[in-house]
Amino acid sequence: MAALAPIALFLLVFALLLLGYPVALTLAGGALAFALALAAFGLFDLEIFGFLPARIFGIMSNQTLIAVPLFVFMGVVLEKARIAEQLLDALSGLLARLPGGLGLGVILMGGLMAASTGIVGATVVTLGLMALPNLLRQGYDSSLATGTISATGTLGQIIPPSIALVLLGDVLSNAYSQAQLAQGVFAPKTVSISDLFAGALVPGLVLVGLYALYVWLTALRSPSRAPRPREGLADGKPRSNWKLLRALAAPLSLVLAVLGSILAGLATPTEAAGVGALGAVLLALVNRALNPEVLREVCRSTLKTTAMVFFILIGASVFSLVFRGLGGEDLVHGLFADFPGGQLAAVAVVMLAIFLLGFVLDFIEITFVVIPVVGPALLALGVDPVWLGVLIAVNLQTSFLTPPFGFALFYLRGVTPPEIPTSAMYRGVIPFVGLQLLLLLLLFVFPNLATWLPGLLYS
Amino acid sequence: MPTPNRLIDRCNLRLGGAVAWLTLVMALATAAVVLLRYAFGQNTILLQEGVSALHGLVLMLGIAYTLLEKGHVRVDILHNRLDERRRRMVDAFGHAVFLLPVAALIFLTSLPYVAQSWRVAEGSAEVGGLPGIYLLKTLIPVMAVLLFAQGLSELAKTLGKRK
Repeated sequence: MAALAPIALFLLVFALLLLGYPVALTLAGGALAFALALAAFGLFDLEIFGFLPARIFGIMSNQTLIAVPLFVFMGVVLEKARIAEQLLDALSGLLARLPGGLGLGVILMGGLMAASTGIVGATVVTLGLMALPNLLRQGYDSSLATGTISATGTLGQIIPPSIALVLLGDVLSNAYSQAQLAQGVFAPKTVSISDLFAGALVPGLVLVGLYALYVWLTALRSPSRAPRPREGLADGKPRSNWKLLRALAAPLSLVLAVLGSILAGLATPTEAAGVGALGAVLLALVNRALNPEVLREVCRSTLKTTAMVFFILIGASVFSLVFRGLGGEDLVHGLFADFPGGQLAAVAVVMLAIFLLGFVLDFIEITFVVIPVVGPALLALGVDPVWLGVLIAVNLQTSFLTPPFGFALFYLRGVTPPEIPTSAMYRGVIPFVGLQLLLLLLLFVFPNLATWLPGLLYS
Repeated sequence: MPTPNRLIDRCNLRLGGAVAWLTLVMALATAAVVLLRYAFGQNTILLQEGVSALHGLVLMLGIAYTLLEKGHVRVDILHNRLDERRRRMVDAFGHAVFLLPVAALIFLTSLPYVAQSWRVAEGSAEVGGLPGIYLLKTLIPVMAVLLFAQGLSELAKTLGKRK
């Protein structure tokens, strides 16, 4: 009975989500109703909701998450001032000779932006605002377009400097020293955030390559799903190089400045996002694409997107409190603790659990709730910490992408025109989920993909 | 004489419209933090915490506005196939069973939390940081009240259309 309650909660809330009432309130309301029903029979202690205000305040005052509204603001400005459009046009102009040039441009740009934010919600939303209208206007199949954007937007999980990797690195290094201490190793080896960054770089680039290859092949095989640009570029010849360069230079230097200042350690992602937002405003002013009316639209749009993203986080925290109150975490812990089979089997089971948890919990909660529970046990089995970290990051990214509960899909849905049915988005993302699984398999078979670079740099 | 739900709508619309500008202020203030530190070597804790406070204002005061503007994401895989009447039924159900209780939960649980903060006039934990953390925490019940009111208004609109 006790083991069934968290599972029942999971199933109930998923069923309720399908009704189509706003996600944030369904997560919170479904869990609350479940808790109240059990409490009526004395089966649930409502005291746990006493933690709720502190959790909400934690979300409000999380310094890392302040980057979200700022990056959204930058994205909305670039979109409304048509700067992103010029950048994408220029990129796809450069790539015009290739089939699926615009799609490849999106992946390239997404890879850049992913590295600069590392926050899934912000990247998916920003990319959706910037690139989706372009893709659709050029006649891209709506499922290919939305699939490309949600997949590219989740690259922030894996391409350093990602915030997911920072948090993961912190927790893993604790788990690693715990595991070694428990084994009586008194001069324990350490694992750092830069190890994890280095470890994730190669798999991240492999993923970008796989995405690009898929879009290119799709465009090659069925050109109607990814038509080439019409006017001016119909012959496949790019415009004059000078013009291309000019269209590229300003926005590209903006993106590179944002990215570079984070990489060089000059600014935190939040600060870089603020500077980027200011840069976007200046760029729009120079382009004479900004007036008070546009600015008002930008602000309102930013507000709505921000409130949407954070309300989901608040709703998810109500859900996770109830899940915890039902002993869901103990259930998960017990499941991993006495698992028969070797090291790889244990890792595989943990990965499956994380994948499923990724449907309801975001990476911060998983990192802080699940990894401390399973991390030391796995690392004690002799699992390489960098490899484990990269595996977790790729896995979570896959989870955020998988229909029907992937977070990235919720976020993208919020900025996708209503004419595009959600089923088309699901169809579009499935091949990318396949590529993710391929990378996970590759990581399992060739752990060197993750461990080679950090070994080269830091040993 | 406007009806109560028209009044609630107008209130949240005005509030949202005003709060929206704070996103621009956030961006400018964050850029200023970077500039002050690198160009002038200034201590910017106060300004940084100011940005954090603006962030809190934006997201907590924007939630009810976003509900009014239908900006909260739905899983619409089935929802899209429902007719107008059934969609209204889903909304009425959600407003009554999810929204109002959740807003009430947040309001009720936050009261002792916020009261505690007021009692000690809680300020920032940082030296030279922002005072008045208790005001920031007060945004939690305020958000709940705005959300509850907007929920009532939406419920009234949904039920009103059925006739």
